Amino acid sequence: MFSNLTFGKRLAAGFGFAGLVLLLVAGVSYRTTNNLIDNESWVAHTHQVRTTLADLLSEIKDAETGQRGYLLTGSDAYLQPYLDATKQIKDTFDVVQKLTSDNPDQQRRLGTLSQVIDAKLAELQRTIDLRKTEGFDAALKVVTTNEGKAAMDRIRTLVAEADQEEADLLAKRAVEAQASAQMATGVSLWGSIVGIAAVAAFGWLITKSLGNLIGGAVGQVQSSSAELQAAATQQATGAKEQATAMSEITTTISELLATSRQIAEGAQRVAKVAKQTAESAQSGHRTVDVTHDSIAGIRRQVDQIVAHMLELGKKSQEIGSVLDIVSELAEQTNILAINATIEAAGAGDAGKRFAVVADEIRKLADRVGGSTKEIRTLIDDVRSAVNTTVMATETGSKAVDAGSKQFGDVASAFQQISGLVTTTTETAREIELSTKQQSTAVEQVNIAISNVAQASKETEASSSQTLQTASQLAGLSKDLLRIVRPQAA
Amino acid sequence: MTRAGEMRLAFDRGFAEQPRTDTALRESFLAIRLGTTAYALRLSEVSGMFFNKKVTRIPTSHAALFGLASFRGAVMPVYDLHALLGFPASSTVRWLVTTSAAAVALAFDSFEGHLQISREAVVPPGTGEGSRDHVHEFVRTAGDIRAVVDLASVVTFIRAQMPQTIS
Repeated sequence: MFSNLTFGKRLAAGFGFAGLVLLLVAGVSYRTTNNLIDNESWVAHTHQVRTTLADLLSEIKDAETGQRGYLLTGSDAYLQPYLDATKQIKDTFDVVQKLTSDNPDQQRRLGTLSQVIDAKLAELQRTIDLRKTEGFDAALKVVTTNEGKAAMDRIRTLVAEADQEEADLLAKRAVEAQASAQMATGVSLWGSIVGIAAVAAFGWLITKSLGNLIGGAVGQVQSSSAELQAAATQQATGAKEQATAMSEITTTISELLATSRQIAEGAQRVAKVAKQTAESAQSGHRTVDVTHDSIAGIRRQVDQIVAHMLELGKKSQEIGSVLDIVSELAEQTNILAINATIEAAGAGDAGKRFAVVADEIRKLADRVGGSTKEIRTLIDDVRSAVNTTVMATETGSKAVDAGSKQFGDVASAFQQISGLVTTTTETAREIELSTKQQSTAVEQVNIAISNVAQASKETEASSSQTLQTASQLAGLSKDLLRIVRPQAA
Repeated sequence: MTRAGEMRLAFDRGFAEQPRTDTALRESFLAIRLGTTAYALRLSEVSGMFFNKKVTRIPTSHAALFGLASFRGAVMPVYDLHALLGFPASSTVRWLVTTSAAAVALAFDSFEGHLQISREAVVPPGTGEGSRDHVHEFVRTAGDIRAVVDLASVVTFIRAQMPQTIS
């Protein structure tokens, strides 16, 4: 959970806890100290009560002492302590009553004491008055009644009880003061120990977590610095290359400018040549027309050749048909001659001469058969030659047609050339004008490229500065990491 | 000399030479072809030769018998010489010869010519050739050797195998 807190929240949590412990210790200490102070005040108050009670008793004793001296001597000089004490007793009693106003027992006791003191002072005044008016004996008579002594004993008892009451309170407050002092000491000691331990623990936790946090951040900063350094280096290299490229572009633009001028001159020459070409194209068109007529004549001659050759082929076919009949006749003659030979052989000696004639006829038939075969071969050759010639002439005819068509295409091409050359002339003029405009534009581009080259140099300088800054940043992050994580550095 | 001149010269020479009378030293043969094989028929065993003769088919169980045909007024059975020599039967009849030994006609595929061979050129079968059915002799010509079909043997075979078909 602590690791999920932010840097500020971790600090606030740590210091808040330590402050809470200190606040607790301070509160307890404050309360204990206040108790001690109150206790001290009450102790002083008790001492004051006891002192005032002692003073009251002493003043009553002084009044009794003055009364006794006056009774014994009758001299007014001895009345002075009595007079001083009677004046003081009232005030002292009031002080005691006021000091013990918070104690009902003491108030009740002081009520009784007040009555007893009044009775005592009245007895003293009466005896003094008797001494003045009636003499020593009258006064002694009253004294011997022990009325005064009993009152005095009662006063001593009551004062002693009141003093004892205050002494008990003093002892009780001393115990409370001791407890408060121990409480203050314990709270201060353990509170300080707990506070120190908490502060130490939180300090360790915060140091550790902040070390991790800052260490990680510093590591990232270091990594980013390295990347920034590499990027700056690359940017510087790129800027240098860009500057070099810009120089090359400037050179190329200059060459382009020169080339544009050459193109403009070339365009002028093209316009001139195009005009001459248009004239030549018109002349060529006329020549093509004449040639086209000649080709039409060739076409007619070729058609006649084809017709004659087809006729020749037809005649050859007819010769072949006649030759088939001749061949068949020769074959039948041969068969007849063979049969005649057989018959002659059957006729014996009478048929020998007939056999010779029959053999001659057979040979003649053989020869006719051989001749017809040769003629058949020759006719086949002629027909083959005719077919070849017809095909060649048809091919030639197609070639003539194609040539005629091509000449037509050439004629139309010449017309197109003429038109295109006119267009070319106009286009060449436009190119000339455009090239001049282009030259102007290229000059402007040259100026712009120079500006860009200057900007590239500035970029290069800026990249170097960035590289330097990145290096410093990397060094700083390394130093910071060394501070945060000495072992990692 | 042109080819026509050569032919005219041979023609004229043929009529100018004296007729040959030494027929006793020579024998006549008919050069025929059965399928792709060349054969020869002795002319003395043939009584007539015919071409494209009409043959009337008859129902028969004999594969070698084509049918009947008329030859100069005589009706004769027509046999397939190809089948009689032990080869598969032919389907058509073009050339025919009638035999001297009996009134039968034999059909063959094609006629290649008339041969006059000296008797020395007629030889018996060699040691490696052996004797085939109805072939007992061979004739040597300028270009090749032809087996001579013994028509008398063929007729004897027909007479033995198909006696009711021959008179």
